[in-house]
Amino acid sequence: MPAANSDTISGMRKLVLVWLLASAAWGQMGKLGAFTNSEDIGAPPLKGAAEFDPASGQYKITGTGSDIWAKADQFHYVWREMTGDFAVTATAKFLTEGIAHRKAVIMLRKTTDTDSPFLQLAIHGDGTPSMQFRNNKADITNTIDFPTEGPGIWKLKLQRQGTNITVWIAKDGAPLRELGETIKQMGSPILVGLGVSSHSQEALNTVLFSDVSVEIVKPASAGAGKK
Amino acid sequence: MFTMRRISMLFLLAAAAAAQTGKLGIFTNSADVGAPAIKGSAEFDAAKAQYRITGSGANIWGTADQFQYVWREIAGNFTATATVQFVGQGAEHRKAGIMVRQSLDADATYADIMIHGNGMPGLQWRNRKGDDTNTFDLPFDKPATYQVKLVRTGVKIFMYLSKDGSEPKLINNTEVSFQNPVLIGLAVCAHDAAASETALFSNVSVEPQAPPAGKK
Repeated sequence: MPAANSDTISGMRKLVLVWLLASAAWGQMGKLGAFTNSEDIGAPPLKGAAEFDPASGQYKITGTGSDIWAKADQFHYVWREMTGDFAVTATAKFLTEGIAHRKAVIMLRKTTDTDSPFLQLAIHGDGTPSMQFRNNKADITNTIDFPTEGPGIWKLKLQRQGTNITVWIAKDGAPLRELGETIKQMGSPILVGLGVSSHSQEALNTVLFSDVSVEIVKPASAGAGKK
Repeated sequence: MFTMRRISMLFLLAAAAAAQTGKLGIFTNSADVGAPAIKGSAEFDAAKAQYRITGSGANIWGTADQFQYVWREIAGNFTATATVQFVGQGAEHRKAGIMVRQSLDADATYADIMIHGNGMPGLQWRNRKGDDTNTFDLPFDKPATYQVKLVRTGVKIFMYLSKDGSEPKLINNTEVSFQNPVLIGLAVCAHDAAASETALFSNVSVEPQAPPAGKK
């Protein structure tokens, strides 16, 4: 008798637990997983797309567009709104051949306007990592390009703490290494997400993003971000 | 005729040598940019081929700069190198390094590779006169003497760096549009308008890129 009782309770517990896990998973992993929206920025002539596979936790993002560069951008963006301090990590694999400078990015963006201020950690198709940003609406794009390491599977991490934005990269399963940091006043709320641009209005490129996480991080210690 | 040629050649060589080892070594001018309250200075020790530069100034940052600058004019592509060492203590973010600059205006377009007093190397630039400064700072552990190399190739500014006396390694590059000619030189900033900081620069060179073959 006691054994049956305990079985029932354990069964109940298990059900509740499964229900809680399911609802948590559902909350975190809607149709777009950790993100809420998906759209083409800058109205490229071809259409991009985004799919989230809850089983694998992978995002397949197909993007077109001339570039994310100069004074206006064209790309496919999958995003959510956030405030405060956070870290985003994602492992990007190009599934299609294309132009050397096709881009897979983790991007912070003020708005979905084509000429919005943004900051991104990009991996180009040829394996050139870059951190790029537009300080003001309709301003030019700044870049810091790092030496090309060749095509591969790239883990990217971008963290914001106050005005400090730090970036890390790793190729083909190597441990993440910090590239460095910049200082940008981007404010809150801000759009946080993943993007793909084919660097050509006539091309579509698909990137598989896996091990994607968006985490809240502690605020920076006092004095950080001061030059 | 032959003798005349030789004499004029010697004269030219002597003049070239004098220009290279003038009062400011390979540079031609030194001045405070941005009118800091405390005056900076620059000395070139020809025997050691070393520049001792003292600068004050609030910072090289935001929309206007204050620092001591030692420079020459140059057009086209070039490579500039220096070994940078701070003398004494000071603000963590005091700066010494190589700077390419459009003009002596406090808010001029520039790009520089700066070593900070705490050992942090940074690539910093202002895209347009009066615009905000952009930075990319590298991971670091402690103060050190760095070998710094700045290469200009068209709009690209390349940053090379090493710490142990080895050949500087390519770190990254940015893009900044300058009009020719530009100023290339060495800069020191105290990061404190009420202080003066000194840095020593050795192994300093500025080499224009050779003109393309067949073109004069």
